[in-house]
Amino acid sequence: MRTDGLATAGGYVAGFALLFLVWHLAATVLVSSVLFPPPLPVLERAVVLIEDNILQEQIVASMRRILQGFLIGSAIGIPIGLAIGSFKLIRWLLEPWTEFFRFIPAVAMITVAVIWFGIGEESKIFLIAYTTVFVVVISTAAGVGAVGRDKIRAAQCLGASRLQVFALVALPATVPYILTGMRLAMSNAFVTIVAAELIASNDGLGKLLWDARLFMQVEDIFVALLALGLLGFATDRIFRFLIRAFAGRFNATV
Amino acid sequence: MAFVSLEGVGKTYRGRTGAWEAVRDFSLDLAEGEFFCLLGTSGCGKTTVLNMVAGFEQPTAGRILLDGRPVDRPGADRGVVFQGHDSLYDWLTALDNIGFGLRLRGLGRSERRAKAEHYLTMVGLTGQGAKHPTELSGGMKQRIQIARALANDPRMLLMDEPFGALDAMTRAVLQGELSRIWAETRKTVLFITHDIEEAVALATRVGVMKRGPGGTLKAVIPVDLPFPRERTSDAFMAVFREVHALIHDEIHGAH
Repeated sequence: MRTDGLATAGGYVAGFALLFLVWHLAATVLVSSVLFPPPLPVLERAVVLIEDNILQEQIVASMRRILQGFLIGSAIGIPIGLAIGSFKLIRWLLEPWTEFFRFIPAVAMITVAVIWFGIGEESKIFLIAYTTVFVVVISTAAGVGAVGRDKIRAAQCLGASRLQVFALVALPATVPYILTGMRLAMSNAFVTIVAAELIASNDGLGKLLWDARLFMQVEDIFVALLALGLLGFATDRIFRFLIRAFAGRFNATV
Repeated sequence: MAFVSLEGVGKTYRGRTGAWEAVRDFSLDLAEGEFFCLLGTSGCGKTTVLNMVAGFEQPTAGRILLDGRPVDRPGADRGVVFQGHDSLYDWLTALDNIGFGLRLRGLGRSERRAKAEHYLTMVGLTGQGAKHPTELSGGMKQRIQIARALANDPRMLLMDEPFGALDAMTRAVLQGELSRIWAETRKTVLFITHDIEEAVALATRVGVMKRGPGGTLKAVIPVDLPFPRERTSDAFMAVFREVHALIHDEIHGAH
């Protein structure tokens, strides 16, 4: 387990080093234009933005919105998904909703969100929650449907009531599916927050991108892109770890 | 009065492609404490019989009585050991899997652990309690299933080809252990199998089913051999041949 972890970490470091190397070669040998800066000036710019506390502020602004909207969306999506997965009637009633809204991307809802909530925090949180909710509902419902028949039967012949089957078997068996849905929703949330901040915002990484474009600060654009990639990578690792832990392949007692 | 009675039990499934009669006019009485092996070819309806006794499925004809009361749903009085190990809970340790039924009944943590440890030892897995099912071999998982069913102290055990997916060596070891456990606990057992040797090695009586569709009980052979059974003894071979002859007709189509 431990050597596995080290190997994985080593692989990540090597992978990122390769990414920066390819980036460097592409920007110096292949293109060589002010519009495509190599990694070093971008990192130098990042240090300046960090020293001025600008980058942190934008990251905090974006991540706070993502987290709030994501938690609200999950808090709504999980119980609805569980209900859809557990009761046929609710499935019949709500499946048209999820199948309808999931094809209206959050980006298309930006206009509506701004009209309803203005350009403040509420509209972004609404959009993130919107983009989260349907993905979480669908994967949670699928998870409930995928609980093995024998797992439920085993509980029944050990004397479980319907409520016990739900709470002690269906729910824990569904957790990996819920986390997978949340993981997908999180990547959607990154897409949505940038789009929303590009169009209407006073701060955040999307705003950083937009301002850098206005003033042709190419390094700033790349700092924002780098920050998005790294944040996304880090949050995704956390979800992968949680999914493995709950799927039982990870043993906390060893 | 018999402990378990199946009275003219039938099961017909109705689907889009028409009706399928899985079991027809199946009658059997089980005495308390006996080890009954139900033997049949695949598709003869033997698992359907077990599912109906377990209460997972309802007969479409006849009735099933346990202590004179009709069986209409699964209950803690009938512990089931499933063929596959998908019935174990991956998110719980082996010990917590075994103690699951006790948890349902609201037993305290320490009492639960002590009981679960007892059954963990009974199935020969002392010291493996902290592992999760994914870390255990197929044979170990079936041991956990048996321990989980026993820890709940059911009145009878229903076993659906529990060793069917194991390799021959592991299967033989687990058959021996099951015989020993049965001798210790004297639970009534209904054991489904398509393996003649397994049936003769374990059972006090072997029921041979006619092939499906509309599978029913063809004959019941008592196995009056002492435990542990010597599989190469003449007496064992005699019973084996008797059962084999009955099954042979079913495989080769003579009704």
